[in-house]
Amino acid sequence: MSGWWFVGSLGEALFFASFFLVGVLCFTTIVAWQFLSPNTQVVRIGYGFWLLTTVSAAFIVMGAVGFWYRVLKVATSDEHREVIAKHGIVPRPKQQLSKIAFPPSVPLLHPFTDSPGAKLAYRLPCEWAGTGSLIAIGLFAMSWNAMIAVFLVLAISGFLQGNIQYRLLLLIIPGIYIGLRSGQMFFKAYVQAIGIGSTTVEIEDLPLVPGKTYQLLLVQYGRLVIKKLSIRLVCEEESTYHFGTDIRTERQVVLRQEILEQGRSRIDWGRPLELECQVSIPLDAMHSFQSLHNAIHWKIIVEGEANRWPSYCRSFPVVVYPLARSNPVSLPS
Amino acid sequence: MIRLLGLQPTYMPHDILEFEYRVSNIAQNGISAVEVSVVWLTEGKGTEDLGVHFFQRLTGNSLAASDWSIPQLVHVPLPTSPLSYEGKLLKISWCVRVRFYLNDGTELVAQQPFYLGTITREV
Repeated sequence: MSGWWFVGSLGEALFFASFFLVGVLCFTTIVAWQFLSPNTQVVRIGYGFWLLTTVSAAFIVMGAVGFWYRVLKVATSDEHREVIAKHGIVPRPKQQLSKIAFPPSVPLLHPFTDSPGAKLAYRLPCEWAGTGSLIAIGLFAMSWNAMIAVFLVLAISGFLQGNIQYRLLLLIIPGIYIGLRSGQMFFKAYVQAIGIGSTTVEIEDLPLVPGKTYQLLLVQYGRLVIKKLSIRLVCEEESTYHFGTDIRTERQVVLRQEILEQGRSRIDWGRPLELECQVSIPLDAMHSFQSLHNAIHWKIIVEGEANRWPSYCRSFPVVVYPLARSNPVSLPS
Repeated sequence: MIRLLGLQPTYMPHDILEFEYRVSNIAQNGISAVEVSVVWLTEGKGTEDLGVHFFQRLTGNSLAASDWSIPQLVHVPLPTSPLSYEGKLLKISWCVRVRFYLNDGTELVAQQPFYLGTITREV
């Protein structure tokens, strides 16, 4: 606890302490002046008064939190800070242990078990990578076209009044092109998303445990000819780190196990493709893990190639619990 | 100094981790606080994460009541997870860590790694 690190932390603590003092000074001055001598008050109660009060209060909160965070960083060890973050500064009475014992640092099971399957116990939630881009394109297309519509109304009303606004027209023409293109992109992505049809995966039990084998059911809906469909079990490490001012996430697949490969097959409305298979978790497999910046994910990946459609990939996360456990985990009802 | 009392530094979930620690060449009244913890931490490409499984801080009367001429014995039941792991991007390791805070502002840290579970490599 010496050298530049200490000086830096001390400087940061002093900076936040001065922030706090300035906030307290401003806040008390404004409030006390208002109540003790309202006649000479420069800022009357109204927009300005509330703005200054809010800004001063924000300074106080920011200064206090920042100061104590820095002080704790210097005055306490990493472990002690972690314990304070988890349990608070004042020790709390020991709570009665929950009947359901979840292993620590393993993702919670609730999001995976809240959807029962039609044939097997659970239907797994689907993580589709294209959802984000589809929503982003949709939002952009909507807002852009709304903006262009407003400009178009202004231009038309000007034209009807005999006042043609050429600058506005020059702005609108490329705007309409961008609006049409973004709409086209959105509908193309949307048709691709719904055209292939949904994929559901059901599993006989959760959480998965190393060394055990589980029944799996894949159902592919839609109206298309599948050229190839494969199901894989994947274990992936994920690390998040700071690179300069960026936050980057890196992923690395550490296990890839082929579960099933299906050749050409035709799917029709009301007659989905149903594939049953078994998935085995290796005995020496690492369990699912989740901490603030690092994670180990287990997924069932479904990859398909269809006639006249781009190939698609859908991911179904699962939870693997550690093998050694004296008490079996009872699932929430 | 920390000494694990098991025959091997590998423990299974729910095992009792027994260890002892002591400090030598330091006067009893020269210690202001002692922190004993059993922690797991991640190493590797990502930002390091730390999880505290067991934490004990001795100050004041509890510190004065301890006889530092003999090793202090601690028993900690180990959790189910996270198991020790050595992957491609991240490594999860467990250790016992003891910090002595001396009256002159010096901080002495000792740590002793151990394994939880038998998965110490990527899947």
